[in-house]
Amino acid sequence: MLNISLLILNFTMKIKRYLYIYSLTTSCKFYRLSIAQDLNFGQVVADILCEFLEVAIHLILYVREVYPSGIFQKKKKYNVPVQMSCHPELNQYIQDTLQCVKPLIEKNDAEKVAVVIMDKEHHPVERFVFEISQPPLLSISSDTLLSHVEQLLRAFILKISVCDAVLNSNPPGCSFTVLVHTREAATRNMEKVQVIKDFPWIVADEQEVHMPEPRLIPLKTMTSEIVKMQLYVEERAQKT
Amino acid sequence: MDELYLDNIDEYVNDHNKIVTYKWLSLTLGVHVNTAKQMLFHYLDHKRKESSAPLHATYLVTGKWVENGNTSHKVTVVREEQLEDVKSKMSLTVSVHVYSVQKASLKDSGPLYSVDYDAVKDNLNSCSRYSAIKCADAVPFAPGDTRPAGDSLQFPPPDPNQIRAPSFDGPGNQTTSKPAAKPQPKGIMGMFASKAAPKKQEPGKEIKVEQKEDTTTADVSKSKSASKSSTMSNFFGSQATKRAEKTVKEEETSSSSVKDKSESSPPAKKLKETPNEEKVKETQPKEVKVKETQPKEEKVKETQPKEEKVKETQPKEAKVKVTKEAKVKEAKPNARSKSKRKEPSDSEEDKMETKKRRRIKKPQSDSSDDDDVIPDSPKQQEMRKPPPTPERLLKEKIVSQPNECKRRKRRRVMKSRTFMDEEGCIVTEKGYESESYSDSEDHVPSAKASNVPARAATGKREDEKKSKKKISPPANKGTKQASIMGFFQKK
Repeated sequence: MLNISLLILNFTMKIKRYLYIYSLTTSCKFYRLSIAQDLNFGQVVADILCEFLEVAIHLILYVREVYPSGIFQKKKKYNVPVQMSCHPELNQYIQDTLQCVKPLIEKNDAEKVAVVIMDKEHHPVERFVFEISQPPLLSISSDTLLSHVEQLLRAFILKISVCDAVLNSNPPGCSFTVLVHTREAATRNMEKVQVIKDFPWIVADEQEVHMPEPRLIPLKTMTSEIVKMQLYVEERAQKT
Repeated sequence: MDELYLDNIDEYVNDHNKIVTYKWLSLTLGVHVNTAKQMLFHYLDHKRKESSAPLHATYLVTGKWVENGNTSHKVTVVREEQLEDVKSKMSLTVSVHVYSVQKASLKDSGPLYSVDYDAVKDNLNSCSRYSAIKCADAVPFAPGDTRPAGDSLQFPPPDPNQIRAPSFDGPGNQTTSKPAAKPQPKGIMGMFASKAAPKKQEPGKEIKVEQKEDTTTADVSKSKSASKSSTMSNFFGSQATKRAEKTVKEEETSSSSVKDKSESSPPAKKLKETPNEEKVKETQPKEVKVKETQPKEEKVKETQPKEEKVKETQPKEAKVKVTKEAKVKEAKPNARSKSKRKEPSDSEEDKMETKKRRRIKKPQSDSSDDDDVIPDSPKQQEMRKPPPTPERLLKEKIVSQPNECKRRKRRRVMKSRTFMDEEGCIVTEKGYESESYSDSEDHVPSAKASNVPARAATGKREDEKKSKKKISPPANKGTKQASIMGFFQKK
C-alpha cells in the first residue's frame, strides 16, 4: 500500500510541477526572452501581442458595455488590475480568434486587428483598430526592453479604460466581432490550413466593414524595438 | 502661487484625457501632496463655475464607520455621486479631499491604481518626498540589509502592569504624541463647508466637516488617516522602500503596511479596517511614556481617535504582539485583528516563498524547460498505465524491471564441438549446451563467439557426449570455409 501511495504522490507531484512550470512559462515569457536560446523571436513577439490583444478585447467589452459588467472580474496583468470576463464561451471564442490570428502576426501578415462593435442590425457602430507592424529584423537586444514594452502596454490599457470620455455611448443590444486586415493575400493560406477545427474564418461582408462617415479618434501609439502599434477608434457619426 | 497650475491641470485633463490623481500631480509638478489636493479642488471649482465640459471627480473619505455594531476606521475612494451618501453614513467624517479628476466617468477603480503605478515606479526612491507623513526616526535600511518585513526590532518586554491598566488617559496622552514635522493640523477650510480660498502653504491637512468634541484628537487622527492613505498608495508601488517611508506615527506605517499585505490586489482602496485596534496592539510593548496600552475593547472603540496619535511607535513585530495580546484580551475584535495580523504575515511568507520558488524555478525552466516537459510526459504515461489494479501491475513492474536491465539466463544452445577422438581424428560435433547469456548480448550468440568458450567449457564433457552424437556436417563458423548452413545460422 505504501508503494502505491508513494507512486500516486509522485505522479501528482510531477503533474503539478509540470503545470507549474508551464504556467510560469506562459506568464513569464518576458523573462524567458532574456535568455536567448534558440527561441523564435517572431513567435515570442506574437505571443506577447496576442496576450495583449486578449486583455484589450476584454477591456473594450467591459468599458463599452457590450456585455453586462457582472460577468467581469478583476485580474492582474502587467501589474495592474484589468477586467476580464468569466464567461467560458466568450473566453473560448476570444481565445480561438486569437489563436488563428497568431500565425498571421508571426509572419507579419496582419496589418490591422479590428474589434468592431455592431448594433442590432449588424451595422458597425464603433471600431477599435489596432494597427500592428513589426520591424523587418527582429532583435531583442536589451534587458530592459521587456519591462519597457510592459510599460507601453500598460499605457494602452489605461487609455482604453478612459476612452468613453471621447466616445458617444452605444445603443443597447450591441454585439462584437473581430476583423483582421491582412497584407496581400495571406488569407488564402488561412483557408487552406484550418488552424482550429470548427472555427472557420470567412471573408467579411461589405456591410460589416463599411461604416458611413466615420469619425477618427486616435487613442494611443507605441513604438518599440519589437513592435509598433497604434490604437484608434472609428465611430459612426450617428449611433442610434 | 500663480494660476499656471490651473492651465497645467486643464491640459492634462482635457487635452490628454488623463486621469489626474493628487499623487500623480504632486510627483509631476514637484509639489507637496496637500498643495496638489488643493490645486485639484481649485481646478474643479473653477471648471464647474465655467460649466464647460463635464468633469468627474473622485474623493477620498476617511472616518468612523459603524457596521453591525462594529466600529471601524474606514478609508474609501468614492465617486462624486456617492460622496454625500457616504459622508452621511459615516458616524464621524475625519477627512475628505479630492482624489482624482478626469473627463471619463470611471466604471471601476482599476485605472486609478494604474495611473499612479508608473509615476511611483519612476520615483521609487523618493516617492514619499512630497508626502505629508514624516518621521525623523525612520531611516531607510542599508542596501545589503534585507530583513523580511516581519522582523521585530528590539523592544523591551511590555510591563504587565501597564498592559492591564484599564484606565485610559485621554487628552493627557496627546501631549506625549509628537508628530514630528507636519502635525499640528489646522483645519483648512473645507471644500464643502465654506467657500474661503484655501491657503496653499498651510501644512495642515484635511477638511473637518463636522463638529467634533475633541478637535485636537480629530485633527491628529485626520492627519494620520489622510497621510495613511497616501502611505498606503505609496506602499502599493514600492514594497521595497517600505522601510524608507517616513511616517508621522509609525503606527500608521505599520498599520498601513499590514493593510497593504493583507490586500493582495493593489487597487482595493476601500479599506474596512480596524487600524486603531491594531495600533493598540502594535504600540503595546512600548516605551515607557504611554500608560494605557490595553484598554478593554469597548474602551478601545470609544477612545479610538484619542489613542491613535498617542503612540509614536516603532514598527512592531506582528507575531510578538499577537502572543502578548493573547494574554490580555479575548474579545472578538481582538481575535479579528489577530487574524488580520496573521494574514499579512502569511501572505508575506507566501510571497517570499513564491518569490523564492520563482527564482529557483526560473533558471530551471529557462534552461531545461523543454527537456523537463518531454521526459515527464512519457514517464507519466508509463505511470498512468497501472490504474485499476495497481498492486498486480506494480508487482509486474517491479519484477520486470530487474529483468529489463540485465537478465542472465541459462539456455540451451546448439553448438558444435571439435575434438580429437580415439583414433586421433579431429571430429566436429554439434550438440546442445547450456549457456548463460544476458539480454544485452546477442540473442543468438554467434557461433564464432560461442565456439571459443564452448571449447573450453566442453573439454570436460567430451567423453560424455562423444559417442552419442553423430558427426554433424561441417558447419564450422569458426573456420573461414563458407557453407550453406552458415547463411541460416546467423540470425
